[in-house]
Amino acid sequence: MKKAILVLTALFISTVPAWAVLGQSVESVRSDQAHLKGQLRSTALQGFSVQQINSPDGTVVKEYVSPAGMVFGISWEAPTMPNLAQLLGTTYFTQFQQAPRSAARRRGPTTVRTDQLVVESGGHMRAFRGRAYVPGLLPGSLSAEVIR
Amino acid sequence: MRTQIVSTRVPGSLWRGLAIVTALVALASCGGNGGGYSSNNPPPPPPPVNNTQAVQVNLGPNNNVPNGLYTSLQLCAPGSTTQCQTVTDIEVDTGSEGLRILSSALTVSLPAIKDAGNNPLGECVTFADNSYVWGPLASADLQMAGEKASSVPIQIIGASGFPTVPSACSTSGTADDTVATLGANGIIGIGVFRQDCGPACSGSVSTVPSEYFTCPNSGCVVASVPLLSQLQNPVWLFPQDNNGVLLSLPAIPDTGATTVTGSMIFGIGTQSDNALGTAQVYTTDNSGNFTATYNGNSYSNSFIDSGSNGMFFLDATTLASAGIIECVGADAGFYCPPNTVSFTATNKGANLTSGPVTFKIANADTLFLSPNAAFNDLGGDSPNSFDYGLPFFFGRNIFTGIEGQNSPGGQGPYWAY
Repeated sequence: MKKAILVLTALFISTVPAWAVLGQSVESVRSDQAHLKGQLRSTALQGFSVQQINSPDGTVVKEYVSPAGMVFGISWEAPTMPNLAQLLGTTYFTQFQQAPRSAARRRGPTTVRTDQLVVESGGHMRAFRGRAYVPGLLPGSLSAEVIR
Repeated sequence: MRTQIVSTRVPGSLWRGLAIVTALVALASCGGNGGGYSSNNPPPPPPPVNNTQAVQVNLGPNNNVPNGLYTSLQLCAPGSTTQCQTVTDIEVDTGSEGLRILSSALTVSLPAIKDAGNNPLGECVTFADNSYVWGPLASADLQMAGEKASSVPIQIIGASGFPTVPSACSTSGTADDTVATLGANGIIGIGVFRQDCGPACSGSVSTVPSEYFTCPNSGCVVASVPLLSQLQNPVWLFPQDNNGVLLSLPAIPDTGATTVTGSMIFGIGTQSDNALGTAQVYTTDNSGNFTATYNGNSYSNSFIDSGSNGMFFLDATTLASAGIIECVGADAGFYCPPNTVSFTATNKGANLTSGPVTFKIANADTLFLSPNAAFNDLGGDSPNSFDYGLPFFFGRNIFTGIEGQNSPGGQGPYWAY
């Protein structure tokens, strides 16, 4: 209940919900939660925490947060493609759009891999999945493999 | 199943390819094993129909995409035998359900599908590469080989005159609304489900994803759409041969083939040409996935997809010890090993059926130097997953068992090969 009140407060004070997450503070998770109409669950792990949003339509979005409160990675499993513009935030979504894509003659999953941003997106109707992370924001010696 | 056809004029909201006749949930007789007969008096079986539709692997209408699987189909206004057309270059996709056709490829007028408030329905599907298709739902009779599905909800992509794409759909992606961007005149989805979205899109409107929209004059808003108004895998609506599909493509040389002709055979164990034979049945989870195991690691989000043009699995880092490196330059995303590599993975269905599959991965740069369109050894990355694309189909008979439909292999959803 206390958490619910906190979330409501956060929603009220942010007049325009920032479509943002990757590379932003953990506070931005709450705008995603609102957008995804989901329930938020937080799990503390060694060296990072995971904020998991479960939506009624079956979408699961996980946001990986550093000890400094920065979202360094996200992952999704969803019946429909989630809104990447929202999950990546403006800065990283622009990078995603501008980065060299997989080959033009490739039909299938998409991978974008630069020094600043990694996005892996695949699956099929009813089962999309993927992840995105900022290599430079991985805390300490953490491996990107934790982002699943 | 109630069919209501309402003839009304819809001023100012017409778009190319759509007639002024509106249809409310126009799904006609759904055929099959409907029951209602006592076991003492089974209905006579319908006479067999031609259940074999030709398919071809080629470079597609833009002459630039290897391993594209195409067919043609006949499309008619519901109930009409004259308002019909044949559409070529339709991509055959086991990774989706339902027919989506470019407005530019459509010459017949089809009735719009509307909701209870008489507002037209639209659909937005965003793909994994963040491109999307948007357009209205319409009703059509579809025919492939001798099989016909009546009053099937389909999507018309890029219909002019239909409301512009809602921001909840287009957020930033690019539209696949031309032959150049879609790489086909349309996509026929014949996957393991009856509908493209299913229960996720028919629940409470406060919970459904931004996939189906109702479009009153005030603008399109997200809608909950009943299962039977969603896009339908046409196969389960055939009067017979409606429990699945057998895709049969011949084996080809490891250096590829210029074009390959094969068969899309409707039904499983319903006629002499579609018996399961020695094929093993791998049932899927609720999302259409099974588990692939490679090198001791399991990947539960694995699937078979004729719409993927390579064997997309894992990544070059994980496969480095096997000799895999990624291509650089124009073919990035494909694998370019210096020498062809053989792989064995083990697939396990939700029914716990388990068995190995072997395949090869060749150097994509080298393959693409040839004029060939079909390759059985083209691969690329899909981290933490196995996406068995079209190369997997060459030399294998692959069955798609549709959810809820009975067959000699049990009830779908399943794959069998």
